[in-house]
Amino acid sequence: MLLDYDRMGWLKIALLGFTALVAAFLLLPVVFIVLLSFGSSRWLAFPPPGWTLKWYRDLFADPSWLEAALTSARIATMTAILAVMIGLLASFALVRGQFRGREILRGLLLTPMVLPVVVFAIAIYAFFLRLGLGGTSIGFVIAHTVLALPFAIIPIATALEGFDKSIEDAAIVCGASPFEARLRITLPSIRIGIFSAAIFSFLASWDEVVVAIFMASPSLQTLPVKIWGSLRSDLSPVIAAASSLLVGLTLALMVVTALLQRKVKT
Amino acid sequence: MIQPFLSIRKLHKAFGAFTAVHDVTLEIPRGEFLTFLGPSGSGKSTTLYAIAGFQDPSSGDVQLEGKSLLAIPSHKRSIGMVFQRYTLFPHLTVAENIAFPLRVRRRPDAEVKKKVADMLTLVRLESFAARLPGALSGGQQQRVALARALAYDPPILLMDEPLSALDKKLREEIQAEIRRIHRETGVTILYVTHDQEEALHLSDRIALFRDGRIEQTGTGEDLYLRPATDFVAGFIGNSNFLTAEHLETANGAATIRLADGSVVSGVSVNRTFDKGQKTRLMIRPEAFGMERKPASAELAVEIVDVAFYGERRRIVARTATGQEIDIRPTSAAMRSQDLTPCSRQVFFDPAAAFLFSA
Repeated sequence: MLLDYDRMGWLKIALLGFTALVAAFLLLPVVFIVLLSFGSSRWLAFPPPGWTLKWYRDLFADPSWLEAALTSARIATMTAILAVMIGLLASFALVRGQFRGREILRGLLLTPMVLPVVVFAIAIYAFFLRLGLGGTSIGFVIAHTVLALPFAIIPIATALEGFDKSIEDAAIVCGASPFEARLRITLPSIRIGIFSAAIFSFLASWDEVVVAIFMASPSLQTLPVKIWGSLRSDLSPVIAAASSLLVGLTLALMVVTALLQRKVKT
Repeated sequence: MIQPFLSIRKLHKAFGAFTAVHDVTLEIPRGEFLTFLGPSGSGKSTTLYAIAGFQDPSSGDVQLEGKSLLAIPSHKRSIGMVFQRYTLFPHLTVAENIAFPLRVRRRPDAEVKKKVADMLTLVRLESFAARLPGALSGGQQQRVALARALAYDPPILLMDEPLSALDKKLREEIQAEIRRIHRETGVTILYVTHDQEEALHLSDRIALFRDGRIEQTGTGEDLYLRPATDFVAGFIGNSNFLTAEHLETANGAATIRLADGSVVSGVSVNRTFDKGQKTRLMIRPEAFGMERKPASAELAVEIVDVAFYGERRRIVARTATGQEIDIRPTSAAMRSQDLTPCSRQVFFDPAAAFLFSA
């Protein structure tokens, strides 16, 4: 191959340098936030004059932060469950189905990924306002499920494509009804895809802010909305602490997913 | 009339304009090992899938002990099946795989345990019970699949080219295993393969498929020694076809004139030919001899090449009209002077040769 990594010579060093630069550019802001959340400066000065856990204590002392985190977790969990259930059914249709318009349906289900979020947010806000779903948990979950659906369908459909249908047929000849065969054989066989789908759709809701701002009400705020609101009123290191926790949980879930996927491959 | 165990009646299957199976009728007695043999696309797998219930036939019927199976869904047909591809359940251990058909039938634990142990013994994989399928070789996986298919004592076992993914040595090993299991369990087996040697080794009877129809059904010997059509003769074993003109038939033996002008009489026929009809004479390579025998017919050939194949030699010869023929006499029957390229006579028994229309 023309661009074989092993044959690049000095280009290899340049490429490594460039990649490191891009990674640093992407990661440094996150690292700064985390460092600042432990810094003693009230004004987010860098480098911090000293280190403290005060902001985390303040964070946990304020019930509105905890409430926002719980709201986020609740909505993200319901979104994940709903997205996985719909994603599972949709994947069976998209992978196994033989019907007209299958490709169109696939495209339609994946559009939330490419559609500008703010456009979707305004549209669903206007729509839900009429239905009286604005500012409700149900509205939140439905909106986030639409956004999370592509992240559920892609891993499940990929896993299902990689699963040999003869195995399901074998279960049926063994005496399992088609439903039982899918429940006891097909689903466990694609469980890693289902698990990835659950994590990704959880995260799609957990750190989503644009739609959330439109859906939120004073009594119903997710963590990203709370961070956004606090940023506008009062720039405090408590926000850095909250952001760090948000990033931390996301990172933990990604690591778990990666580990599980590796375990299955070996 | 004795009720046949499994009976396939005028089975017909069309996919749009393409007819995959054409009025196939077969009766299979209990305990038989019947092989569907044929080239790919000949309808043998489709017929098997219709019996399994994965394909609904366009018309015709499949009956088990006089009762139609067609209205019964696959999972209630009580059929065992081994597939071409590896179909063990990847997340279950070998023992759990074998137990699966018993578990879905809600059999008591003690019975399941005993049966799984019996099956593991049957396929000689006792020490593999706790392994996952991923940790088994292809041959072991197919043996587990066989154990799983037999675990609930199905009256019929269907096997769809179960050995085609394995290498030759392993294939022969498992063929022996399958024969032994058939002998020990007495299960009725329908086996699909495109490998004629496999069909000859394994089966009580072979149904040879061609273009959705059964060309001939019979024992391996029937098909080899008494082929009904030139397709059967060409598919089973090796054959030479010589063009010939039919002169006359009397008492089931024909007299013909070969392309080089020589006249041969006493040729086996299983249909009638017109006088002067163009025909093809089939002679097996091993039916040729280098010595004249009382009833022998002779053929003038030029020996082109002789190769040593162990118990047999393989000779490439050319007839007077330039057609290449394949001769395989036993090595012991050859003297050293036979081995050099030369022009000479070779001999064959006309009764072991068959006449087909051209």
